[in-house]
Amino acid sequence: MRKILFLLVFMLAALPAWAAGDTLVIAQGVDATTLDPVNHQETPTANVAAQIFDNFYRRLPNGQYEPWLGEAKALNDLTWELTVKQGIRFHNGEELNAEVIKFNFDRLLNPDKPLKYSTYFKTITNVEVTGPYTLKVTTSKPSPLFITRLTYLWVVPKQYIEEKGDAYFANHPVGTGPYKFVRWVKDEEIVLEANEDYWAGKPKIKKVVFRPIPEASSRVAELVTGGVDIITNLAPEAVAVVNGSGVAEARTVPSIRNIFVVLDVKGEGPLHDPKVRQALNYAVDKKSIIEHVLGGNGVPVGCPLNPYIFGYDEKLCEPFPYDPEKAKQLLAEAGYPDGFSFTMGSPSGRYLNDRQVAEAIVGQLAKVGVKAELRVQEWSSYVSQILERKIPTDAWLIGWGNAQFDADNTLFTLLYGGTVEGGPKRSIFDYWVDPEFDKYVLEAQTVVDQAKRKELYKKALEHVRVGAPWIFLYQQKDIYGVNKRVKWQPRPDELIWAFDAEIVK
Amino acid sequence: MLTYILRRLLLVLVVVWGAATLAFGLLYLSGDPVNLMLPLDASPEAREELRRAYGFDQPLYVQYGRYLIKLLHGDFGTSLRSQEPALDLVLQRMGPTLTLAGWGLLFAVLVGVPAGVLAAVRKGTIVELLTMTLALLGQSIPVFWLGLMLILIFGLKLHWLPISGAGSWKHLILPAITVGTFVTASIARLTRSGVIAELRSDHVRTARAKGLPGRVVVYKHALRNAAIPVVTIIGLQLGALLSGAVITETIFAWPGVGRFVLIAVSQRDFPVVQATVVVFALMLAFVNLIVDLAYLWLDPRVRYA
Repeated sequence: MRKILFLLVFMLAALPAWAAGDTLVIAQGVDATTLDPVNHQETPTANVAAQIFDNFYRRLPNGQYEPWLGEAKALNDLTWELTVKQGIRFHNGEELNAEVIKFNFDRLLNPDKPLKYSTYFKTITNVEVTGPYTLKVTTSKPSPLFITRLTYLWVVPKQYIEEKGDAYFANHPVGTGPYKFVRWVKDEEIVLEANEDYWAGKPKIKKVVFRPIPEASSRVAELVTGGVDIITNLAPEAVAVVNGSGVAEARTVPSIRNIFVVLDVKGEGPLHDPKVRQALNYAVDKKSIIEHVLGGNGVPVGCPLNPYIFGYDEKLCEPFPYDPEKAKQLLAEAGYPDGFSFTMGSPSGRYLNDRQVAEAIVGQLAKVGVKAELRVQEWSSYVSQILERKIPTDAWLIGWGNAQFDADNTLFTLLYGGTVEGGPKRSIFDYWVDPEFDKYVLEAQTVVDQAKRKELYKKALEHVRVGAPWIFLYQQKDIYGVNKRVKWQPRPDELIWAFDAEIVK
Repeated sequence: MLTYILRRLLLVLVVVWGAATLAFGLLYLSGDPVNLMLPLDASPEAREELRRAYGFDQPLYVQYGRYLIKLLHGDFGTSLRSQEPALDLVLQRMGPTLTLAGWGLLFAVLVGVPAGVLAAVRKGTIVELLTMTLALLGQSIPVFWLGLMLILIFGLKLHWLPISGAGSWKHLILPAITVGTFVTASIARLTRSGVIAELRSDHVRTARAKGLPGRVVVYKHALRNAAIPVVTIIGLQLGALLSGAVITETIFAWPGVGRFVLIAVSQRDFPVVQATVVVFALMLAFVNLIVDLAYLWLDPRVRYA
């Protein structure tokens, strides 16, 4: 009997650390780099910070935003009144008020100590406390994106940071959010416990643990044995394994990230001709790529935007149909009846099966006589070459996740050609130049009337449709592996918010 | 003797300087970290500002000079990703890596030496064939494949051991075996050939002629002499253990320095990579020194002047 008991105890002890009943274990590829919610650049860090902190405006799963820690009202084109919600306290008891919000703005706008999120608040020139819970914020120019940017204002405590310093705070965070910080063992786990007094309601899950597991197959192994509850970046090839495990399932969501091929249209080559660029768009079979290379995890799209983004237009963003005959005809009209050759770059491992997608495109273009020579590179040197305009290829595959959910962050940021006098000089991929387009997107930056902005973006998209500066491919789907006991739906902005989740059995 | 040690210590300095210079040169050839530190849509001005703040706008020789001077003070700068002192970040993660390497080595010695002796004693039998085939496999199986297979068998199918992470002794078993297998195989093969050579030697024949039991002959007379090259290989294998740790730690999510530096390289986190390279170089240089000194102790015939 004792032997059996001993054996039983041993077997129990030998079991892997199962995700316990009321604990949600989330596995991401890497550890957080800091727990200062406004001084990082990565989704895995943002996901941890979002449990501990609240932002001033909250992004909803559908891409809309709603007032959260407070509300902003435009007094005129340049002035905003911010009202802070009353009765909210940080985990250390500190009260949230207008002074704290001012401290947050000052911290972000301190030129001597720039934080990674400072860039979102550059237009703010003055912040003034007008009452215990009200502030007046002034901007240097009309800012239609002012409220959007307030979703980046993750509010940190004033007293605590003033007493303990930034460095200590970044490792021992205190926020107003649904979960309190317990411990952080670097590269091993971050443990959080429910904030029972959370102002928006008591969290349903008692404990949240983040575990960094770099190897994708190890994440899958942990998921299907019940070691973790949610894993990110599940490979399409592993979906069948997860769904067949009986324990977990794959859940997907179209993300805010579009994948496309930028064409270097400058110079006198064939890519300079809009007809050629349209032809390339007709020659690529998006549906087939999505089905065969991505396991169905994409949505074809025919413009730089996607349905989540303000400014998206269904008609102008309809995918170019796969029509090799039309492509050939357009090529012939442009003077290339026998096709032409060009070079195309692709990263490897940055986006869902990126390299394989690029290979598929090369194969499809060959069918209309266009010879693309593919050069694959590691991401960090690839992106550096693109930013410094030293990329040696005529075209390159890349993705863009517009986390502001507004056309400005795509159309202006990527395509603005710098033709407006007195306006900004350039944008990231301004190889294609269309003065009309430039005029529209620049004007949309200063118009606060959203209906009018939408009209401007529609006109801009008309030019993009004809100019076809990119080969438009698809909107990527994010794939998560989730234990069936967890009630939770993935969001397009890659945020995993435990407050939304529930453990059902 | 003392002069020998002093001379060797001086050499350690040269090695570290060489490694530090190599780490500096390779990283700067591979591209500017600023592009990865800011979002893609950051303005060119913001990039310039950051470049200036970190001194990346200075000529290379100025950057190199600053780097060396800081190095002399043990200062590697702050990590570009987490804004914390790079050396601290690396040293914090050294513990888990050394733990893993230590247990991997222990596993290698405990399995490799007896296996080698067994193969030598049973030369020409199926036992030798089997042991040596396994050793050959152990040396040729890629570390990542072995790790994944162990996870598949012991974690996924049998549920005996945790798949990833750290925190208990059970978490240590699979990664230690993974990281130690290559070394096990090297030790087994070296022990076998050493013992076989010793078994043929005059003093073993004499020992046998004296009528000593076979076990005593093998372990006291043959193995002890065969151990000298094995000790050397153990020292030299530390390099293999540490580089194996990069992959092993990634597969098993072990919180060590190997996996940490892998991320640092892909993110061009210069200070962290440089600190790791220098710390590793120091460690390897010292281990080699210790191995050489251990030689003296094991083999009184060896003299360093």
